[in-house]
Amino acid sequence: MNSNVTSIKLVLLGEAAVGKSSIVLRFVSNDFAENKEPTIGAAFLTQRVNMADHTIKFEIWDTAGQERFASLAPMYYRNAQAALVVYDVTKPQSFIKARHWVKELHEQASKGIIIALVGNKMDLLESEEDRKVAREEAEKLSEEKNLLFFETSAKSGDNVNEVFLAIGEKIPLKKNDGSNNDGLRTTEDGRIDLNRSDDVANSSGCAC
Amino acid sequence: MVIRSSSSTRIDQSPREMFQRSNSSSSSPPKVGGSLLKPWKKSSESLSDSKKHSTKGSSSTHHMSPLRNESHNGSKTHLHHNHITHHPTKDKYFKDLDEDWSAVIDDYNMPIPMISNGGVETTLRPPAVIHDESAFESQRSSMESYRGTGSNLNRTISNDLKLKYQIEVEKDVQELNSLMVRIDRFKNLTRPKDGTTQVNLTEIRKLAWNGIPMVHRPVVWKLLIGYLPSNLKRQDQVLKRKRLEFKQGVDHIFSDNHEKDVTTWHQIEIDIPRTNPHIPLYQFQSVHDSLKRILYFWAIRHPTSGYVQGINDLVTPFFQVFLSEYLSPSTKDDVYTLDPLTYLTAEQLSDVEADCFWCLSKLLEQITDYFIHGQPGILKQVKNLSQLVKRIDSDLFSHFDSEHVEFLQFSVRWMNCLLMREFHMSMVIRMWDTYLSETSLETSIGSEDLMSEGSTSLDRKSRSSASGPPSSDSRQTTLSEFHVFVCAAFLVKWSDELMKMDFQGIITFLQNPPTKSWKESDIEMLLSEAYVWQSLYKDATSHWR
Repeated sequence: MNSNVTSIKLVLLGEAAVGKSSIVLRFVSNDFAENKEPTIGAAFLTQRVNMADHTIKFEIWDTAGQERFASLAPMYYRNAQAALVVYDVTKPQSFIKARHWVKELHEQASKGIIIALVGNKMDLLESEEDRKVAREEAEKLSEEKNLLFFETSAKSGDNVNEVFLAIGEKIPLKKNDGSNNDGLRTTEDGRIDLNRSDDVANSSGCAC
Repeated sequence: MVIRSSSSTRIDQSPREMFQRSNSSSSSPPKVGGSLLKPWKKSSESLSDSKKHSTKGSSSTHHMSPLRNESHNGSKTHLHHNHITHHPTKDKYFKDLDEDWSAVIDDYNMPIPMISNGGVETTLRPPAVIHDESAFESQRSSMESYRGTGSNLNRTISNDLKLKYQIEVEKDVQELNSLMVRIDRFKNLTRPKDGTTQVNLTEIRKLAWNGIPMVHRPVVWKLLIGYLPSNLKRQDQVLKRKRLEFKQGVDHIFSDNHEKDVTTWHQIEIDIPRTNPHIPLYQFQSVHDSLKRILYFWAIRHPTSGYVQGINDLVTPFFQVFLSEYLSPSTKDDVYTLDPLTYLTAEQLSDVEADCFWCLSKLLEQITDYFIHGQPGILKQVKNLSQLVKRIDSDLFSHFDSEHVEFLQFSVRWMNCLLMREFHMSMVIRMWDTYLSETSLETSIGSEDLMSEGSTSLDRKSRSSASGPPSSDSRQTTLSEFHVFVCAAFLVKWSDELMKMDFQGIITFLQNPPTKSWKESDIEMLLSEAYVWQSLYKDATSHWR
């Protein structure tokens, strides 16, 4: 374990039932549950990842997806250094919602926030007909808005770690930017490690 | 908080009532102190057989002392003082509580007809054969014979063991008796035999606060929430009308004449399969269909709120309690695992749905501002909780502050789902016995009046939506208010642990509190604690209204 630990506050946003909690569950516990209860309010989880010369501790706020809870979202993205904006590749509506979130983050969140656009539920695509959000469309949005872009499956685990790894690589190596209290919490108390950090670090960081 | 009369018989005297009685009848600090301890004793029933529990209990009790807050008056100071000097160690403290508890049990059970003395009090006497309670009857008689053979065997064992054994048996018999008497009291209250046409709702509320026997729960819940009228002669007629109204409404919204609200329907459709994913009942297609009908119909008829995630949780206690009405007493627990269509006709299932719909509507009437745009009710509740904890446990509050833990980060869910996500369903149902007893009398009586005037619920709906979102100074219902105290009691229960944790530890702990092994006695202790806090801090909550 590298003693040089950088904490990253990361928030997940996106329409209800696109798989935000499932992505986090896959990343943090390498697990999947078919019918996870809808998140109410927000859930907090952490995971450490060993990078080449330092360790990143992700402090993840997984928010509720329903529109009605949206007023609480600013509290979670306010000080976030990174955000995952998630949509469901089989639900066009969820991509529209993703666009809204990207816009809101650019307007309201901290300036340097790193945003990853994530199209989830790739496992549902048995044929190209099942896909309702074109990859090109999402890539175009990513280029325009300077986002990282991944298509994932929380169910199979495809590409999930890669999202976080890419964020980790992009984050400026500053232990504490002084703008919040993160410094106080960069302790050696990672809740769940599961010795998976090395796996994550060794896998290829394909940023597409 | 409505102060109940103190005239209840000792059998069902709750810690709550005892507190109330001593509190209201005494102005001298020592008495208040003494009575204050009693509600906490509720838990010591399970303390004796659970060391682990007692440690937890002791820590929470310590932190629960109002005296940690210096701003309290003399009476509370006296209590704390008392507490410290008389119970220098935790063990000693709980030992004392245990003894006190036995005394309370005796007190509770004194008027109960005992098998040992053969005495039977006429008013409380269970009829010789009650089909619902036959199971308990047989248990009781087997207990009796057990006791008989026991006394023969006892000659060969030590006096100590003999005594212990006798006490245990005695205790079991007493518990069983007490349960039977409770069942019988509910029976007499919901179906009075003396020719009265009106059930005594006040009496039922008082009794139900301490838990409702499973066999009576469906009817009592419907009475408490104001769905079933207290006028016995009108009950059948109202049920019939309400069930028909629901059926016709559902038929309409699922017909071609109704343009579906796609967003709402979509949200409900994706939430239903992930409602209570750990309970087999909620995996059946028939149950999915029922819940979708109830929730969609509710959402359509309450456009100011609409469907909000969490309401899918709130309908489920009603659903399974009302289903259990159709199961025999010995198989009621099978409600968790059986497909309702294996024991219900389609028509009966529709009746259950209707009952759920109306009761859900009644419940949500009490907390409408939780779910309207911006969820002002939830934000207000969270704020109330933090202010309350600041007064009850200022150390914990400061600790949260220094760790940058915000109440919004963990208690939104507590409010949105009324703590349902924190407990097993069976515990939630027990909790709701008390919660539904706390529903505002005003509301249920008010709507009952409306019902008796024959106005349709559509009238009521247009009324409520016309009034719009409640203004900030609208009166908070007692259910909502009580819930904040339950949340506060729940939080300070873990105070000792939380004080040692940092931000991450605190949030992760509160997201997943160790309640899996909780029993009814734990929930009852929590409710009693909440009740005590509510009584102590009444002044602090006046501005909530």
